[in-house]
Amino acid sequence: MTFAEYAWLIPIFPLIAFVVVGFLGNRLFKNWEGGAPIAIGMTAISLVLSLAVAFEALTTGTGTPFIQSLEWIVVQGGEFAFTFNMGIYIDNLTALMLIVVSFVATLVVIYSLGYMHEEGEKKRRYYAVISLFISVMLGLVLASNFLQMFIFWELVGLCSYLLIGFWNTRPSAASAAKKAFLVTRIGDIMFMIGLFVLFVGFQGNLDFAYIFDNVDAFVGGNELLTFGTLMLFGGAVGKSAQFPLHDWLPDAMEGPTTVSALIHAATMVKAGVYLVARSYPVMVETPDTMLVIAFIGGFTAIFAATMALNNTNIKRVLAYSTISQLGYMFLALGAGGYIFAQQPEFNVGYAAGTFHLMNHAFFKALLFLSAGAVIHAVHTEDMRLMGGLSKKLKITSLVMLIGCLSIAGIPPFSGFWSKDLVLEAAFAGIEYNSLFILLYAFGLITAFMTAFYMFRLWFLTFSGEPRDKHAYEHAHEAPAVMWVPLALLAILAFGSGFAFLFGFESTLVPGLMDFHPHEAGPIDLLTAVFTNVLTYASIAAAVLGIGLAYMMYKKRAIDPARFTSGSVGKTLSNVLLARYGFTKGYDWIGLKVVYGTAKVVDFIDRRLIDGLINGISAGLIRSGNFLRRAQTGFVQSYAAVIVVGVSLIVILLFLVGGVI
Amino acid sequence: MIPIEYFLALSGILFVIGALGVLTKRNAIVVLMSVELMLNAANINFVAFSSYYGNLNGAVFALIAIAIAAAEVAVGLAIIMNLYKTRDTISLDEINLLRW
Repeated sequence: MTFAEYAWLIPIFPLIAFVVVGFLGNRLFKNWEGGAPIAIGMTAISLVLSLAVAFEALTTGTGTPFIQSLEWIVVQGGEFAFTFNMGIYIDNLTALMLIVVSFVATLVVIYSLGYMHEEGEKKRRYYAVISLFISVMLGLVLASNFLQMFIFWELVGLCSYLLIGFWNTRPSAASAAKKAFLVTRIGDIMFMIGLFVLFVGFQGNLDFAYIFDNVDAFVGGNELLTFGTLMLFGGAVGKSAQFPLHDWLPDAMEGPTTVSALIHAATMVKAGVYLVARSYPVMVETPDTMLVIAFIGGFTAIFAATMALNNTNIKRVLAYSTISQLGYMFLALGAGGYIFAQQPEFNVGYAAGTFHLMNHAFFKALLFLSAGAVIHAVHTEDMRLMGGLSKKLKITSLVMLIGCLSIAGIPPFSGFWSKDLVLEAAFAGIEYNSLFILLYAFGLITAFMTAFYMFRLWFLTFSGEPRDKHAYEHAHEAPAVMWVPLALLAILAFGSGFAFLFGFESTLVPGLMDFHPHEAGPIDLLTAVFTNVLTYASIAAAVLGIGLAYMMYKKRAIDPARFTSGSVGKTLSNVLLARYGFTKGYDWIGLKVVYGTAKVVDFIDRRLIDGLINGISAGLIRSGNFLRRAQTGFVQSYAAVIVVGVSLIVILLFLVGGVI
Repeated sequence: MIPIEYFLALSGILFVIGALGVLTKRNAIVVLMSVELMLNAANINFVAFSSYYGNLNGAVFALIAIAIAAAEVAVGLAIIMNLYKTRDTISLDEINLLRW
């Protein structure tokens, strides 16, 4: 290992950009796009280093992870002694994440050069925080133990807060930032509880290397471990916006589109999936947790997809689709782990989840950045005011079409390969638990819905007649600094799926003893995919979805209003727009339950605890007031007291002390 | 030779007179004089015991006490003078600055 020795530098470079851009003055960067060149340069250096490290890890592929660590905190004390390390841990999963995060991040920062051009002095803050964001995400990916991961996990949350609230003068952005922070915080607390369980169970050693090799050494039985892994997954639910903590993600659209692209494609929400994939060796010990993961994932996939069906905000549709696609990843990981727990041999679940993570990163970054180009052109996010833009935005419409085809799962675009694997993993679970019939159905329906709403978005935005003449007149193609990243992402969104044919399955395997990689040539894999009837089911679902969208929004053969005109349709559509009332529900909980509890606690603090302290002090003051009356100021009364006192002492000495 | 009890009785009477004077008189100078009476009662005791035991320590101690008392009276009178200057009175009833 040569490059891996320097892997610790990967998060350092963006951190340097953060320090330089963040702490040197505005004047210095005035003619420098607010420090953008520094951010781009440092991120690009990380990218190069990441690619080198990842290439090395994937090609040498000895199966043993590369680990470097330093002792950070050493606590001595006999049987309670423990050591926390800080270090890096590089295996194939890390390599994959390094490629995805640094590549998408670099393109996003370059794209920002065009997108954020008109932000003035605020740009410096943007570039500083986004550098920090990239740095901590890379740090999270490289972390060598759970505690270190948790530290970066929290920092990722902080950066998302700062970036979602970038336009901090807008109340909606400020409250969206707070919501993102608070909702993910619920997950963070669960993550922390999970860490406590692991800490106790593994006697103070949280290193990945130790835990994965000694899962049997867990003290406290399988129930406790199940609880611990469930809590770890709780952390992932918060970060990855899974049901029921999904509600922050659509609101997070208040940030700049570049930030949304980064959050959705590379950082933040992928951290949750990464956590589950990373803790796979522990998680498979607890099939119950795996079942929960699969169920939450499958349910979230369909649940979020329904909300995307009728939304008119271009970014929100993409946000719901992210939640839904993340659900797919969890479904695959959960299904794979559950099957492995029943029958410890190779299955596709793990590879499907991580493969979809990678493909999703590319096509979702592409979709978001294209949406950003559209918003940049027409200055609105409302799809009802767009339409016909393909004439003006030729490149954008083309690359977005590639993104839509990819997410919809049309072969040979990348989304097809991974979505197919996800569904295959879910289907394989049916043999072991009939719940997977339901989850497979969820997955298939989601595939249909995904194709439908993505093409609804595309047709509404780019085809037909312009609905807002004024916006249409002023629309213009994005500058090169924006469309070149788009083109690069489009190539990947088209082509990253072919990694499947070249041994993705056999390369990306969890560090499990009985998990033997499944070696097969491209031709074998191809025949396996296209002789499977399930493949045609998912293609059919996608084509059906696209067809319906085409009929409704291009040909206008089916009037979309038909679905919302009836009373049932109207109610349903309102429920979807109100996000099934989750927003209201959380507001209600916040206002009634949390605020009520806070009031009670405030009462206890202010009345009982403060009252006790104030009472003691008031009592002392009062008794002092009373006692000081003894000080009359008359010298003679003092003298009298002295004389009487001395006399009494003398008399007492005579009577009691027996002086004579 | 006068028996020591006589001296002790004289000294006791003097001390009580002085103490009563301190407690009852309103005039600061009279109080000061009463304090001197109490002091001298003690001095008489010193001298009486000194002659009784044939040891000169007590007599020396009495002499030192007289010397100190003279200095102390000078200070006390100075305080009373200043009091009179600032407050136009030396009645202890009206000098109660140290009260609550």
